Amino acid sequence: MITIDSINNWFVQNFGEITLEQAKSWFIYNPEEKLLFNTGLFLGLFLVFYFVYAFLRKTFYLRLTYVILFSLFFYYKSSGIYFLLLLLSSVVDYGLSQIIYKATKDSTKKIYLVISVILNLGLLGYFKYMNFMIVTFNDMFHGNYQLHDVFLPVGISFYTFQSMSYIIEIYREEIKPTKNYIEYLFFVSFFPQLVAGPIVRAKDFLPQIYQKLNLTKQDVNNALFLIIGGLIKKTVISNYISINFVDRVFDTPMNYTSFENLMASYGYAIQIYCDFSGYSDMAIGIALLLGFKLPANFRTPYKSTSITDFWRRWHISLSTWLKDFLYISIGGNREGTFAGFLFPSLFFFGLLLWGISNVAESYIPLGIAIGAIVLFSLTFLLSKKKHQTLVTNFNLFTTMLLGGLWHGAGAQFIVWGALHGLALAVHKIFMEFFPSKKEGKGPNFLWRFFSILITFHFVVFCWIFFRARDFETAIQVINNIGQLTFEPEHWQAIVIGYKNVFLLMLFGYVWHFLPEVITSKMKFVFDKTPLIGKAIILGFVYWIVYATAVAGSQPFIYFQF
Amino acid sequence: MNTKSYFFQSFAIVALAFVAFIGFKQILPDKIFPDSKVDSKNVLIDSLLLESVANDSLSQKGDSLSESEKQEAGEKITFNPAEGIEFPSETFDNYKGFQYLISFYEKLYQLEKNPQSKVRIAYYGDSMTDGDLIVQDVRSNYQERFGGNGVGFVSITSESAASRGSVKSTYSKNWKTLSYLNVKNPISPFGVNGHVFFANDKVNTTWVQYEAGLNKNVNTLDNPTLFYGRANKKGNVNFIIGKDTLRKSLVPNNLINTLKVSSGSIKAFKANFIHADSIPIYGFNFDNGIGVHVDNFSQRGNSGLPISMFNANVMQGFNNNLKYDLIILHYGTNVLNYGTKNYSWYQRGMTKAVNKIKESFPGVSILIISTADKSTKYDLEMKTDSAVVPLMKAQKRYALDTESGFVNLYTLMGGDGSMVKWVDESPAKANKDYTHFNQRGAKAIGKLLYDQLNKGYEQYKVLRQNRDTNGSKPKAVRKTKTDSVSVKKDSVNE
Repeated sequence: MITIDSINNWFVQNFGEITLEQAKSWFIYNPEEKLLFNTGLFLGLFLVFYFVYAFLRKTFYLRLTYVILFSLFFYYKSSGIYFLLLLLSSVVDYGLSQIIYKATKDSTKKIYLVISVILNLGLLGYFKYMNFMIVTFNDMFHGNYQLHDVFLPVGISFYTFQSMSYIIEIYREEIKPTKNYIEYLFFVSFFPQLVAGPIVRAKDFLPQIYQKLNLTKQDVNNALFLIIGGLIKKTVISNYISINFVDRVFDTPMNYTSFENLMASYGYAIQIYCDFSGYSDMAIGIALLLGFKLPANFRTPYKSTSITDFWRRWHISLSTWLKDFLYISIGGNREGTFAGFLFPSLFFFGLLLWGISNVAESYIPLGIAIGAIVLFSLTFLLSKKKHQTLVTNFNLFTTMLLGGLWHGAGAQFIVWGALHGLALAVHKIFMEFFPSKKEGKGPNFLWRFFSILITFHFVVFCWIFFRARDFETAIQVINNIGQLTFEPEHWQAIVIGYKNVFLLMLFGYVWHFLPEVITSKMKFVFDKTPLIGKAIILGFVYWIVYATAVAGSQPFIYFQF
Repeated sequence: MNTKSYFFQSFAIVALAFVAFIGFKQILPDKIFPDSKVDSKNVLIDSLLLESVANDSLSQKGDSLSESEKQEAGEKITFNPAEGIEFPSETFDNYKGFQYLISFYEKLYQLEKNPQSKVRIAYYGDSMTDGDLIVQDVRSNYQERFGGNGVGFVSITSESAASRGSVKSTYSKNWKTLSYLNVKNPISPFGVNGHVFFANDKVNTTWVQYEAGLNKNVNTLDNPTLFYGRANKKGNVNFIIGKDTLRKSLVPNNLINTLKVSSGSIKAFKANFIHADSIPIYGFNFDNGIGVHVDNFSQRGNSGLPISMFNANVMQGFNNNLKYDLIILHYGTNVLNYGTKNYSWYQRGMTKAVNKIKESFPGVSILIISTADKSTKYDLEMKTDSAVVPLMKAQKRYALDTESGFVNLYTLMGGDGSMVKWVDESPAKANKDYTHFNQRGAKAIGKLLYDQLNKGYEQYKVLRQNRDTNGSKPKAVRKTKTDSVSVKKDSVNE
């Protein structure tokens, strides 16, 4: 017979005793435990939220308000009191957008647009770049300014950009503003994409608010497939290889062999892809479960055949945002503007200074600086349409520099952006000399293979700068890899030593490079699985996530050959 | 099927999946990744440790943590005066043992009085001190206060040479290296660094090159001197300093022989060894002859146990040249991962090692540094590994038993859960393996170590002054316990 006691015992056995303290902690902000999609707490909260949501599907404002409240709670769990900042900035942005929409004179519209852009970037600038600027200033001019004790509110880079897209699109008359503040707040605070993107564009999202809420079986299939993939990518592959291998090597690269450094670089490439795209996929999947379709954010980027191709497949919502609002705004491929020339000039000037200041020790930095400037100049000097290419390349370079800086406040992100900007320009001139044959069948297999190989390795090379704690560490990793010699027995010993890590890396890459035919086959089979089967598959994935989370970290090992 | 709205089905799937998860959790194993046993062939770990662990698992019935631990913590430790100086009594819990560092402190005091004299420290460690981490900070703290230039004794090859900033060393790949880590019976005895090197490639030159680091006090190579051992055949070595080449011969007549490369300070040099195939080469010493010098003898994977294999005669030969005043033993990291909490085997082994040090460096003060905090994942949380405290206590026990000073690095860095804090802190002070410190953390640790040692020194000076004003006469020999090795504590060891 089932008694209350036996149920209670079963519960305690599986979940442990739940105290009032614990229950309280679920609802109170704790900086140590962020509310991520891959946590048990999120699953529990979401189940309750989703159950009520299903009943509210036919209402409108009630449903919007309900989701907003959950979103604000979600944000509070991630950033504490800073959810007020989100509210405040949304009130200001909403007000400005109304003024811009109603204003009749172009000049008035423009003034308010500039105000809103300054406010938004100012906010982002203070929280994200203040200390970086102070440190840079102190270093350059031996200043002694105190650092500010700034907390970086989670997702501020994402929702600021999303908010800006709304205002700029209203200014460009691409969309009409929402009918009221509630609808606007729903768009800005929508919790699936709030803290880590994708950066949803107002013109894609707003129309969906007004549609009748609908969720088909196919939508659910797509959503679950994305969530399952996302969970595995983020919590299994990315988390495990970073904590057990990649982080250690990048902490002290010189303590590891060349082969370990090389593998850590490949490892980081798959780690950052799985981390970022996995979280995006979960966000898209969760939004889809709520009946909202967000655009895809990653399309197997390492299959790119060129760096231009890469940026059409990597973090698509960011690259299109940058293209539409930054690149086009500073002139695109049409005209040169002050801003478009300013940042690249500053960068190359800084690079040259760095080269000159290091001449006493080595000529290599100066060589790199001059080489980069010559290379960049050649990309437009060799072109037939010199002026247009010059303008385009400068604007492109600016976009990539600032895009790099968007990822974090640090010189290594600028270098990362610059490398990509340079590569895009080089690829452009390359295409001018060797245009791809558009007609008929695509390029041959070997050509394609080498294009992918080279693009991939360039991207991995740039990730070293992105990942390394500072510029010096990045150089150490690169130097160490440069001393790699062919010693298969040593490699084998290392691979066996880090067996789990290397198996997961292999799994990640094989999955990434699987032909689309196979992934769609898998999807087809999943779609055909009965409801209960899907539940079991999803439950199994929960278990994998759980088992990985409790897996102890591998003790450190040092190899000697 | 209702194609219009699929909300409740969707909810059902997510909820049922949760139930399925509970089911899976009950029937599937807890761990998805097996804790793979690594083949130790290419992994750096000392062979004595592996042997001890194997023997221990045969003899031990289980991890018995005795009830007497609580009494042990409050155990009162009193000292017999040495040189008329007696530090206040301590409890086992807070044991530091400054009393046993008196001969070192006296030498420091003499140095403070006479800046032309010198004090030397040998710092033995494991991967925690790789690349001169921690040690370079202890060194710079001492040299900053008491003077002294140079990085001390440097080996020929080291797997961490590339990560060392205080001196840059590169070497040809054809050196034959024997390490006390995994060799039991070397052809020639190990040097003070636990290694012996041979240039026995007859076709290609065997070379080593040193370049001074950038930091203050170590930015020149002072009086570079080669240390080598006994052999039957003579050999030659070409020193290349700038554009000059000096050809010198190696005369391996004594147990320990030295050869000065040049007097004074140089920035860099290269040594090519010619026909030196049978001569045991140990390394180079760099010091300017006055102030404090600290040698870093770090070895990855070392538990400390191999020290017991030292050849005391050879060590005395080194000591005659280098004249040590303090030997630091900083180990423990490599014995944390063996699933045991009973460290009596390690305590026994290390007691042997410390006694070997005493035999090798008679009258020299010894300082034991305990393991630092180290975290392991328990369920979902990173916490202090349950082996840390038992190991630290065992280390304290052999420090006390062998009359050595003791630094409790675990409590010094913050005690329970401190490693998690050091890793998570921004900027981080320790690495993601939750074991090793990074540059920043090592600097902090170096300062903490120096501060504790210095606290004892300041206390010593006060006690010394009290003694002199009270007019009590220094006793030459202090009373010794019967259960420990007796050692003469002379204030100056000649």
